[in-house]
Amino acid sequence: MATLTDPGGIAGTVKPRIVRQYNFAQTVPALALILLFFVLPVLALLLRSVLEPQPGFGNYAALLGSTTYLKIFLNTFVVSALVTAVSLAIGFPVAWALAIMPSRLSSVVFAILLLSMWTNLLTRTYAWMVLLQRTGVINKTLMGLGLIDQPLPLVNNLVGVTIGMTYIMLPFIILPLYGVIRRIDPAILQAAALCGATRFQALTRILIPLAAPGMVSGALMVFVMSLGYFVTPALLGGTANMMLAELIAQFVQSLVNWGMGGAAALILLVVTLTLYAVQLRLFGPARMGGH
Amino acid sequence: MLLNFERLGAWKWILLVITGLTAAFLILPIVFIAALSFGSSQWLIFPPPSWTLQWYKAFLADPRWLEAAWTSFRIAAVVTVLSVLIGLVASFGLVRGRFIGKEALRALFLTPMILPVVVLAVALYAFFLRIGLNGTTTGFVIAHLVVALPFSILSMTNALEGFDKSIEDAAVLCGAHPLEAKIRVTLPAISHGLFSAAVFSFLTSWDEVVLAIFMASPTLQTLPVKIWTTLRQDLTPVIAAASTLLVIVTIALMLLAALVRKGLKS
Repeated sequence: MATLTDPGGIAGTVKPRIVRQYNFAQTVPALALILLFFVLPVLALLLRSVLEPQPGFGNYAALLGSTTYLKIFLNTFVVSALVTAVSLAIGFPVAWALAIMPSRLSSVVFAILLLSMWTNLLTRTYAWMVLLQRTGVINKTLMGLGLIDQPLPLVNNLVGVTIGMTYIMLPFIILPLYGVIRRIDPAILQAAALCGATRFQALTRILIPLAAPGMVSGALMVFVMSLGYFVTPALLGGTANMMLAELIAQFVQSLVNWGMGGAAALILLVVTLTLYAVQLRLFGPARMGGH
Repeated sequence: MLLNFERLGAWKWILLVITGLTAAFLILPIVFIAALSFGSSQWLIFPPPSWTLQWYKAFLADPRWLEAAWTSFRIAAVVTVLSVLIGLVASFGLVRGRFIGKEALRALFLTPMILPVVVLAVALYAFFLRIGLNGTTTGFVIAHLVVALPFSILSMTNALEGFDKSIEDAAVLCGAHPLEAKIRVTLPAISHGLFSAAVFSFLTSWDEVVLAIFMASPTLQTLPVKIWTTLRQDLTPVIAAASTLLVIVTIALMLLAALVRKGLKS
């Protein structure tokens, strides 16, 4: 073989040397870091959920048997679903507009999207705390316009969390959806028009079905990210609508109950990884991130 | 029709209005905080009664704020260097290596991206309590490295996959030492990947809140932790000043990234 393609046999002598340099050894530093400071601590935490205070599933029974905790699970799902629905409802028309508008207009919107995404999470949450407070601009404006007499309670409740989290999640749904709509062939919609479809029919029967994979994938991603969110719900939500991540932090920080903390962490982990597996199964690898 | 902007008719205006309102929704809170940081009202009344620099003075005069900012910078810088180095070596192994379980390993390296940060924070907190790393710079660096590394590996494996390895082999065949070929041929070719790995790693550490809350001690805290603890007490305009400074750093980094991308292309 070597004599056919490479008469001098250069590759035969040099190639193995080159190939052999790349192997498992190079991934060892990264692997050691991940095993020691990621896999091991997470497994240890999950183990404590069945070992402390005594071996067994007592922590899980306590978590799933109490209405207080069930309310927190339910609230986590409700907030995440609400944020996902609102983000999708706003994100679809924006992604659609971005995909077709003149590039000098869309580049301005992209710059705003990126600036918002890159701005510190606490800065963005702080901005909403100030805007939504009783004496904040939004209440002042609404009262000034005579629409309301009393300041609306917009913070420390479901409204505050939904606004604050939608604000953070919007770019995560707009950007992938933009990519999906961009790849749709405009000729398909022209064909629909030629065949006599109205704009509304073309939207509901062609554009939305074609964009649906992007919508489902983006929605799943936003939902999964929302489930584990800690900072924004802790600052904009009230004690009445605590979310799962806060509960985990509270078990560990205030109550020093590692067993319960580990059990709640396992539940969050199982739900997150299951939904992520669904996403992978349906759409292949996608980028994810969260705080 | 629906994908032709000029032929959308009335729908064009509906889409434009929704997009305009969304853009305003995304940008106004940031602009608003920047404006209030110059306002004189302690209670963040808008429009402010008068304009002042007092919150910036308060920020710069308070050693705790400055120390927190310096701690953040120090940790982010170390995380960036380690994340790029470890990530680069691992990326070579992941892209060019031939060993069993390579894909599984790649997936494992990316898992910290999808795991809820609060779970990792609580787990590391427990682990660090045991081995005495809580409230130390080393603890902070390790925690941030775990979440920064996936971004590093992702951008560098992408860059390496787009690089034609035969160019490096050619350098070796011409007599270059394999390591020299890597440093002088391959690294310059994948510099965009290295650069985005560095920017992502820095920002991941610089902006990270949840891990930092658990790693922090009263004597060692990053800027986000300082903002977090202050926020839990009141909404003082000093936070608006600190936030505005953070936004300026972000915009500077974005512009730098755009410039470098342009420079690398030409």
